[in-house]
Amino acid sequence: MRFVLRMALRETRASWRRLLFFFICIAVGVAAIVTLRSVIQSVRGAFANEARTLISADVLVSTIRDWVPATREMIERRLSEAGVTERTDTLETPTMVRPTDASRLVVRMVELRAVGPEFPLYGTVGLETGTYAHSLLEHQGVLVKPELLTALSVKVGDQITIGKAVFTIRGVITSEPGRRVGDFSLGPGVLIDFADMPATGLLGFGSRLRRVMLIRIPEERVAPLVEQLRRDLKDEFVNVRSFRATDDEIGKDFDRAENYLSLVGLVIVILGGIAVSSVTRVFVLQKMRSIAVLKCVGAGSRQIISVYLLQVLTLGLAGSLLGVVMAIGAVAAIPIALRDSAPLLKDVAYGVTWSAGAQGIGVGVLVSLLFSVVPLLQIRFVKPSLLLRDEAVRTGRDMTRIAAAIAVAAALVALTAWQAASLRVGLVVCAGFCGLAIALQLTGQALVRAIAPLSNSRSFPLRHAVLHLSRPGSQTRVVLLAVGLGAFFIVGVRSLQASLLEEFSIQSNPGAPDMFLMDIQRGQADPLREFLRDPAHGAGAFQLIPVLRARITGISGREIQLDSFEDVRARGSLAREYTVTYRDHLEANERIVAGTFWDGPSAEPEISVEQGIHDRFQINVGDVVRFDMLGRIVSAKVTSIREVDFRDARNGGFMFVFRPGTLEQSPQTFIAPLKGPETIEARARMQHDLVLAFPNVSVIDFREILKTVRDVMSKVTLAISVVGGLVLLSGALILIGAVAMTKFQRVYEAAVFKTLGANTRTIARMLLLEYGVLGLLAGLVGSLGAVGLTWGVSHFALDIPWRLFAGEHVGGVAATGLLVAAIGVLSSLDVLRHKPLATLRAE
Amino acid sequence: MIDLRGVSKTVTSGTEPLTILHPLTLEIPRGQFVAIVGPSGSGKSTLLGLIAGLDSPSAGSVLIDGVDITRLGEDALAKLRGEKIGFVFQFFHLIPSLTAHENVAVPMEIAGVRDAGARARALLEEVGLTERGHHYPSQLSGGEQQRVALARALANDPPIVLADEPTGNLDSTNGRHIMDLLRNIHRTRGATLVLVTHDAGLAAEADARIVLRDGRVVEHAAAQVTR
Repeated sequence: MRFVLRMALRETRASWRRLLFFFICIAVGVAAIVTLRSVIQSVRGAFANEARTLISADVLVSTIRDWVPATREMIERRLSEAGVTERTDTLETPTMVRPTDASRLVVRMVELRAVGPEFPLYGTVGLETGTYAHSLLEHQGVLVKPELLTALSVKVGDQITIGKAVFTIRGVITSEPGRRVGDFSLGPGVLIDFADMPATGLLGFGSRLRRVMLIRIPEERVAPLVEQLRRDLKDEFVNVRSFRATDDEIGKDFDRAENYLSLVGLVIVILGGIAVSSVTRVFVLQKMRSIAVLKCVGAGSRQIISVYLLQVLTLGLAGSLLGVVMAIGAVAAIPIALRDSAPLLKDVAYGVTWSAGAQGIGVGVLVSLLFSVVPLLQIRFVKPSLLLRDEAVRTGRDMTRIAAAIAVAAALVALTAWQAASLRVGLVVCAGFCGLAIALQLTGQALVRAIAPLSNSRSFPLRHAVLHLSRPGSQTRVVLLAVGLGAFFIVGVRSLQASLLEEFSIQSNPGAPDMFLMDIQRGQADPLREFLRDPAHGAGAFQLIPVLRARITGISGREIQLDSFEDVRARGSLAREYTVTYRDHLEANERIVAGTFWDGPSAEPEISVEQGIHDRFQINVGDVVRFDMLGRIVSAKVTSIREVDFRDARNGGFMFVFRPGTLEQSPQTFIAPLKGPETIEARARMQHDLVLAFPNVSVIDFREILKTVRDVMSKVTLAISVVGGLVLLSGALILIGAVAMTKFQRVYEAAVFKTLGANTRTIARMLLLEYGVLGLLAGLVGSLGAVGLTWGVSHFALDIPWRLFAGEHVGGVAATGLLVAAIGVLSSLDVLRHKPLATLRAE
Repeated sequence: MIDLRGVSKTVTSGTEPLTILHPLTLEIPRGQFVAIVGPSGSGKSTLLGLIAGLDSPSAGSVLIDGVDITRLGEDALAKLRGEKIGFVFQFFHLIPSLTAHENVAVPMEIAGVRDAGARARALLEEVGLTERGHHYPSQLSGGEQQRVALARALANDPPIVLADEPTGNLDSTNGRHIMDLLRNIHRTRGATLVLVTHDAGLAAEADARIVLRDGRVVEHAAAQVTR
């Protein structure tokens, strides 16, 4: 044991420089794991403490319909039986606001929340200045998020109009209980007094209002109350949840985020592991004589394998510890990066947690060991007779190595499953990574083979550069894999982003609607038509589409009854509430695939069903579907199945279209897709005038949505590019390591070439060409992988036409080529500097 | 005692079998100094490698102190070498990543000797390299490297020392120095010394001389050799 320890230390002392970069690669991966896990654990801790504040109550009862008096009465009864100590009602709806000063031509969609004096039951509303009190809201006061001040160019003290009522801005919200960070929102949050809600006119029919009851109750009574209410309300469209459910849900979200995100780090560590495996193979080849000497002086194979395993363990541990140090630095920088974000995130006490650190070190050390075991087993075949004459080390089938490789693969799946906290995910990720690695490897090999004819080139440097790529132990494969994988991530994600943006871009179809009006009341339809036809407003083509809310409660002859809320839950999306319309024509994006479309009104209800709904739920022509339309039961016969192109669904992509003649008198609102004015100013003016004339109508501007989509996508792209960048960094480290590892061979060759008459410039050109070609190949591997990725994602996941963005690919390949050439040449400067005689004498 | 019984070695050269050592039976008594001579390619180093268990014979058996080493596994062979055999190569074969002192200490560390460090220093002193212990092989001259190799061969005080042309890669002064050391070792420690050499003068000093040509023993003197 003492021998093993001493030899491991001596070997580490002698070779740590050559192996350094591979273990920095492990460090980068470990740093990613530890940072992600620590940050998420810190945030999770903060959220767990704030669970009640997150929903601002112990129990929350909500509905998107009007309260039915009997239901409400029953809830009240249950609350009083349960001994509820405090409760309050809130109303939430998206709506438009504008500065009351009519000269300012801006409007903005916001998420309005009307609250009573008891709000919030837990936590407090954070204000930029002063403390929150309900009196700030009384008599048409409003508190707004800072984004709204910027968007409307208003300040505290100014007046804004919400619906039909004028409000005075009395403060700026920094945090608001009950609004979760990261929740999807249509606009900045705005807080008004519950009592002022009627004045806005937003309580009318058709508004997308959510009614919420916040309840405070001693903790031990939370679960029984929730259970009781759920039992009582199972047939109603009422949602009941406790802060515990939110806590559990958030806990699960965080667990999932932590486990999945740390897989990113694991992939980098595994990439480092592949490099460790490759370098260990070369290392054993280089150490063969020393191993033979050790065997000659009495060491057994097991002892020698132990020496090198211990060396890998030491370097793996050092790499992992370095990773933890890097993570400490990264985590320390997070509060600075989050200076301007939500207070809850900003105020979290970030730090590297013990469990994250231990996991990171565990993963780093395990991966280093696992990946070095198989190549180290080759030591068993090094014979001491090697010292007497040169002989090849036995290769070929070796059951021990095969068994070890299988055990290592199983251990890697177990490791991934442990990190992802799911065996299925572990298997999928390992299989996916394996598949990707094999695909990239095969591509790399094919490319190396494709350029092989260049080894007959007339150019001496090019000939030798190409020959070097297929030299034994040249590390070409591992560099192609690592750098190629980095390029794959970056080029793939950028191409996908470009593809999606192109898909969303409305500029590709200049005549298409680019604005959307909602919540138009029946009485507003004609005045709105007049408004839009008025050339002064600059609106282009438009149509008013009647919409009604309907819920499927059954399908004739199919024994499907969807009368209760429980059935709805069990049936999934079929029984959700649909928005339906009626019309006598097909839209440009629609095509009949079965049955016939009607050609005029009829008193008998008929519907046309969208193809996806037909496929999924087997609703066929001839079936009768029973709808509940706000209490009115309508049974409609299916007379046609429509294919809808949802990529061009701006005139409405309806699942169910009714034949005219039966719904005209039902309660309904209208939506209006239209082509808005061209210039930003004209669009702002039109929206402003529209909201002035029709305060309850909401306007969605596709151009703004596109801007938001672009914004969100560039953030996502940035995040994935950071991952790609880390992988590329690992690739660069592996490349530097590979150069360092094989440098002695280069130095010797360069000395021979110099002796034979090659000058430094020729050797420099050889190096430049070798690494340039290697980089271009790695870039091509990544780029071809990215073509596969974008095609697969476009075709199977996003269902959009696949496009090739040549610029992204050419740029990616060129940048990778340049990067690898620069790194390769810079880390080989020694080769150029060495004097030939000294090198040859040393050999 | 070293006892070779019908030992031969055949290797594959390309696709053809090539016999580099024809069947040979030989006994080398304890404490004897035996020189093996012959031209290049005559099988001298192969014979030495077979005695050391560095290589396995194609036929026959090799007994060291009555133990048939051809029946031992790799690890048992390594242990036996560590305990009983010291080997000096023509090309030194020091471990480049270890200092001279560490190179000498390694066999003792493998054998679990407690004061390996002190003994390594003593051995280096014995070969006249007290001041060079902390140098790496690349920082030593050929003669110095061979002296370190010699000290390493003596580390576990083996009863058998095998030397494969130990002076073949050295100038005459260094060669003489190494031979003086080897003779001294044989004399003072009573070790069996088997020396492969081209040098007729050196061979003449041995108790017995074996001459090999094309893998066969063509001449022997004093030692008991059976063809």
